Amino acid sequence: MAAVRLPKLPVSPVEDSAEARLFVFAGFAVACVAVGVYGQDYVVSAAGVVVAALGHYVSYRGRAKKRSVRGQVVVAGLVFASMAYFLADSAGAVFGGEMPQANFAILLVAVTSFDLKTRRNCYSSLWISLAIVYLAAVYAWDYVFALLAAAWTFCLVGFWVASHLRRMGAPGLRLPLAPAAIALLGALALGSAAFVFVPQPQGLPNGPLVVSLPSFTQFRGEIENPALPLVQFQGGTNTVDLRYRGRLGDTPVMYVRTGAPSYWRGLVFDSYSNGVWTASQGVTGYYPPYIPPRLLPRGPDHNLGTFVQTFRLLRDLPPVVDAAYPIASLYVPVGQLARDGYGTFHTPDVLRAGTTYSVVSYIPDLSAAELSRDPMPQFQPGSPEWPVGVDSRFARAAELARTVVQGHTVTEYDTVTALVSYLQHTYRYSLQVPHATPGLDPVNQFLFQDKFGYCEQFATAATLMLRSLGIPARLATGYSTGDYDPVLNQAIVRERDAHAWVEAWFPGDGWVPVDPTPGFAGLPATQFPNRWAASGLARLIPHLTIGAPPVVLGSLGALGVIPLGVGIALGIVLLFAWLRGWRRRRVIAAQSPPGSDELLRLYDRLQKRAGRRRGPPETPTEYRQAVVADALLDDVTDAVNLGAYAGRWPEPGRVKELTSKLS
Amino acid sequence: MAWLFLLTYWIVAIAVASLFYALWNRGISTATGLAKVRHTGEELPERSPEAVYERDVISVRSLLRSTGGARGPVRLSLRIGTVEVDFGAGLVSEQGISKETEIGPIRRGALDTSGRTTTGDPLGLFRARRSLPERELLLVLPRFASLRAQPVMHEQEASVTAPRAGHGTEIFGVREYRPGDPLRRIHWRSTARRGELIVREFEPPGVQHVGIFLDPSPASAEAADQVARIAASETWDCVRAGGRVTLWAPGCEPTRPDEERNFLALLEWLARYPKRAAVDEPPPLVRDAIAVTATSDARLLDAVEDVRAHGGSARAWVVGEAVLESDVEVERAGLEWPL
Repeated sequence: MAAVRLPKLPVSPVEDSAEARLFVFAGFAVACVAVGVYGQDYVVSAAGVVVAALGHYVSYRGRAKKRSVRGQVVVAGLVFASMAYFLADSAGAVFGGEMPQANFAILLVAVTSFDLKTRRNCYSSLWISLAIVYLAAVYAWDYVFALLAAAWTFCLVGFWVASHLRRMGAPGLRLPLAPAAIALLGALALGSAAFVFVPQPQGLPNGPLVVSLPSFTQFRGEIENPALPLVQFQGGTNTVDLRYRGRLGDTPVMYVRTGAPSYWRGLVFDSYSNGVWTASQGVTGYYPPYIPPRLLPRGPDHNLGTFVQTFRLLRDLPPVVDAAYPIASLYVPVGQLARDGYGTFHTPDVLRAGTTYSVVSYIPDLSAAELSRDPMPQFQPGSPEWPVGVDSRFARAAELARTVVQGHTVTEYDTVTALVSYLQHTYRYSLQVPHATPGLDPVNQFLFQDKFGYCEQFATAATLMLRSLGIPARLATGYSTGDYDPVLNQAIVRERDAHAWVEAWFPGDGWVPVDPTPGFAGLPATQFPNRWAASGLARLIPHLTIGAPPVVLGSLGALGVIPLGVGIALGIVLLFAWLRGWRRRRVIAAQSPPGSDELLRLYDRLQKRAGRRRGPPETPTEYRQAVVADALLDDVTDAVNLGAYAGRWPEPGRVKELTSKLS
Repeated sequence: MAWLFLLTYWIVAIAVASLFYALWNRGISTATGLAKVRHTGEELPERSPEAVYERDVISVRSLLRSTGGARGPVRLSLRIGTVEVDFGAGLVSEQGISKETEIGPIRRGALDTSGRTTTGDPLGLFRARRSLPERELLLVLPRFASLRAQPVMHEQEASVTAPRAGHGTEIFGVREYRPGDPLRRIHWRSTARRGELIVREFEPPGVQHVGIFLDPSPASAEAADQVARIAASETWDCVRAGGRVTLWAPGCEPTRPDEERNFLALLEWLARYPKRAAVDEPPPLVRDAIAVTATSDARLLDAVEDVRAHGGSARAWVVGEAVLESDVEVERAGLEWPL
């Protein structure tokens, strides 16, 4: 049975360029700075830079020496120690649990920097640095990060240049300055322009495999019960009191990395009494920190796909998972998750500042055309499942609702739209709401006395009016989109983005968000923004999505043939090159005298066996005299001399005989 | 992650810029020439100042020059004979950069140069290779020595030493008419062609015409070198005595008649020996023959016997231990030089 020969990578040359190694180290240092600045994780970064500097020095000094078994064992041991650190910090937050992946990569680079001999080793170090930059980028929320990205790119270019010049045999790092600078600056400008102007494919990922960023899994410190302004979440009681008056702040609450702006829904309330919303449904089930799609209800029938959001909390928040709903899967770094009857997920304790969690959500098709197909729901008041109808205290509000939607009752969509439009256009938005009038429900005070209010007033009034019309509705709270940056695919959500809106039940589409507050879209459906820069693929990252590439290619439309065409062209070029080489080999073989090829191959093997190749100026006779005496080499040398100098190549049979002596 | 897109765009743009840079960077030219020659080994009886002999040490200068402003990087990979020369530069100015490579002691034969320049972008993503056509940089002549104790005439050109317009029977050549020349020697065809009186010259009787027949397939490079050295030495001895030499080896083209007294031309033939001809030329008609061989080649021995059969003298040099199947007088030599 023939032995299977596995393909081997070509041997990588020793990297002799000190400048190239310096650029590799600088790239790593840039990555560490990025982690320090944006991840606020300084200890491992600083230590990594110091250790890596020492490692590079050691590697450069010993680059020509063979690797010792002892040294490799030490490096391997340190790599395993780094992995142990990673596991301990990821699962148990032993060292604080902040950016364990980045710290692991930093330690990996620092440890392996003692063993950077070849060019391939340097490349590996550089690419791990890129991974560190990438991890830092998850936490980067401003454009200043572009400078760090540019610095890393410069280090990559520097490594390429230094390594290549050394390979070319050029002394130092001297290049024609003007052309090189023009090329580099032109490339940076071209890349920046492409980043801004090139449209990205609008692929919709499916079957997400979330590679998330675990933070710590243990809460420490006292339990807090923070009261957010205006929309008041009380983690323990789950109520919203319309009589509460808070203040709005500009302090960022969280960063949301997302490909699509959305409302970040938190608690949902369905029972209203005397100005206070409460939730009638409690916890329905408990889940592990990572909930795959199979454990959650199926997505909406008319969904447009899924999208990923990564939340990075900047302050302590109530134990509620704010996200775009409905959720397909999620990962929250807590011990356990609880799901209530409204689909909202709760954490065991307050979500600490610094926590990062990821959610994959469906994008329901909530277009006007889709919703218009739904008929008016037919529900009887009093059903606990379908909150419809209102008591007599809101008879006037109900009457107003009937008046407003008159002539718009063919479909539920018409009715809801008419009511929302009426509230948005008739009532004024104001945060300066007077104190509650004793004996008067805040909704009636808003609708018929003050005629201005903020989101809670609008949402509560709309909810009750929809219910009076027989449409199930409930109050949803959370945050509006925030300041969304389509270039960076992120939203900065501040305190003042806390919001309340309505969820109305549509028979064919389930709970649909409706926002009656002036200044907001009446139908705040999640959708991908129609923009050019940095969209599309960007939302797949930092989450790897199986099946995304074909979807993304498909989304390119006619342009999708370009990658395919490039692939085919590449295949043709490779085939052509192979055919050309094959033909050349055939021609050379045809021109060679019989027996010459075999003899020269045998001569080559003998040189290999002798441990030294014949130098270019050496004749075969001189070579034979220089190496250890070998009878077979004597015979073959004579045969080579006869062939090369006398033109008398031996018969193939003679070569076979000589070859048999070798074996 | 938007940042990764930015990085990707930058890297792709850098690759695109590198492509254009590599295209622009192709305007670099090369030149190779002999810089100096250092003589080593034993003194030669006569040395032509412009010639290079085996065992000399030479310096070859390779030059890289840019046109239209500084360019780079570039790598020059040359093969000068059997020596490989590699050097590169990141920056090549219009004045150019050069590198001298010392080669030697050098072997007999044509010293060919070939190679290629590799240019590209500074990152090494793209490269353009341009092959330099193979050309003969110089011809390294065999060493020689005087093998016979004869008075040395200091001119290599036998034409200078040979008597002119003698009274022999072999036509030596033609020259312009000088007062006193017999009118019957006027060469009318040349006179008509050149418009002035031209006369025939005859070499004097007794001038030696030696055919030096060489081994067509010496067993090794060392043997070929030694054969060439001995033949060169015999040639030297014959030419300096005013004789004529024709060099020939079975399967090789013999030297031309006009080269018979031109020692440099004969050395050049020996420098290229054994150079097989497309057509198998018969042995030249000579008065005497000297065989220089490392093997007992039948065609060579036939040619020698043919000279003897026509009344000429013949002798042989054998390099190594080969036994000639002939009764000619044999002198033996090893591979060492001088003998």
